[in-house]
Amino acid sequence: MTAVSVSSVSKIFNQGRTDEVVALSDIDLEIKTGEFVSLIGPSGCGKSTLLRLIADLIAPSTGTITVAGKTAGAARKEQAYGIAFQQAGLFEWRTVLKNVELPLELRGLSRAERKAKASEMLALVGLEEFAGHYPAQLSGGMQQRVAIARALAVQPPLLLMDEPFGALDEMTRERLQSELLAICAKTGTSTVFVTHSISEAVFLSNRVVVMSARPGRITASIDISLDSRDEAGRQSPHYFECVTSVRQALRGSPLKSAS
Amino acid sequence: MKWARAVLPPVVVGILAIVLWEVTVTAGRIAPFILPAPSAIWAQFVEQRQNIWEAALASGTNALIGLIGGSVVAVLAAMVSSRFRPLSEVSIPFAAVLNALPIIALAPILNNMFESTSSIPRRLVAAIIVFFPVFINTLRGLREVSPLHQELMHTYAASGWTFAVKVRLPGSLPHVFTGLRQASSLAVIAAVVAEYFGGLQNGLGSRITSAAAFTAYPRAWAFVVGACLLGLVFYLTTLLLERLAMPWRSRLIA
Repeated sequence: MTAVSVSSVSKIFNQGRTDEVVALSDIDLEIKTGEFVSLIGPSGCGKSTLLRLIADLIAPSTGTITVAGKTAGAARKEQAYGIAFQQAGLFEWRTVLKNVELPLELRGLSRAERKAKASEMLALVGLEEFAGHYPAQLSGGMQQRVAIARALAVQPPLLLMDEPFGALDEMTRERLQSELLAICAKTGTSTVFVTHSISEAVFLSNRVVVMSARPGRITASIDISLDSRDEAGRQSPHYFECVTSVRQALRGSPLKSAS
Repeated sequence: MKWARAVLPPVVVGILAIVLWEVTVTAGRIAPFILPAPSAIWAQFVEQRQNIWEAALASGTNALIGLIGGSVVAVLAAMVSSRFRPLSEVSIPFAAVLNALPIIALAPILNNMFESTSSIPRRLVAAIIVFFPVFINTLRGLREVSPLHQELMHTYAASGWTFAVKVRLPGSLPHVFTGLRQASSLAVIAAVVAEYFGGLQNGLGSRITSAAAFTAYPRAWAFVVGACLLGLVFYLTTLLLERLAMPWRSRLIA
């Protein structure tokens, strides 16, 4: 099964004007159901743009995108994906619980159903005792966990994440990475994860897609098969091999043919 | 301790100012038509308390109806304007014109438009004065939606109406209350001042003018004190409402 299929997609901003920018050119990408794929590349390579195309926040200039067999637009309207950004983007006037409930509210679930589901998601990210707090009372890492719980609330088959841990300190980041993996394993969600951290991409992913800038294109796709995704995994020789090959791909040397 | 430190200085300064005032007036033999002594004003205030209370009730009702009416119209107008960009560009200069209308010019005209026993002119004046600060502040608040929230609601496939009610409106509340705070005092001033120009004579404004006409200056001042207290009540009530309407803010202070 394919979770996401991107075929010959390009995206040109300000088309036909003097400040025309080719953000993405000729992108082909298949993501299987349950797969965890990271998009990595230098800033300006269009990795966030690609994620936003999949989310139907912007439309491609050419090519087609399907999510779970439907067009990206139809998938968005069915809330077929959950999304989290670098900023938590919580609604400050809603309590933590109400924030997680919001996507469920828009789906028209009953009050009791919403509360049960949202509480379950908060428990998943370990914040059930903060349900009644307001976002401003939480630390950055906790806010990001609420944002992830919110993205998972509708139990979407696909999770889109745009540098969700980018603004966090290293310790919090590693803990949240492990939590995310546990959640994805539990729910069987397919994930597209944008990052600029090589170690993060390798640790989390089944596959790391390497992109280059101007015009944004995919230069390599590296399969990762860590035995375990825990502290031992982070120390294993295979982990370091993968980090090296991603780094080389990013530099645009030997592995270019790997895609 | 903290509470005392916040409250004590203004109270001390206030008492000192009144004492200074009293001493200046009595020692300086200042004529009461220029400035009556606070003790004389207080004596009038106690004597006239029933009249002051009734007049304040009348003016307060006018101000409150004007405040509520003007604010509701202003918030609705801001919501409509924020939905349609061209409309907001047209409506801002229009609102500015409305704001530039002096009540002094407006009140006599409105008084002539209605019967002399009608309370409508004073309420209309208050509503018109209230409109501008509430409209401008609400519009600003409604426009300041974080792009991230906008995208999130887009991914939830939320309709324009849902977006307005669940995101724009609660997000604009701090701005709405900035406008309301200004408007609450203005509404009282407008309701009082409107009576200087005719119409039904049962509020604080008419009592001030008639007391002054009879050269009963301490009495006029007693009614001014009543108007001041009424304005204060309006302002503090708005502050309280602000606290209640935005628990996520007050909870942080605590």
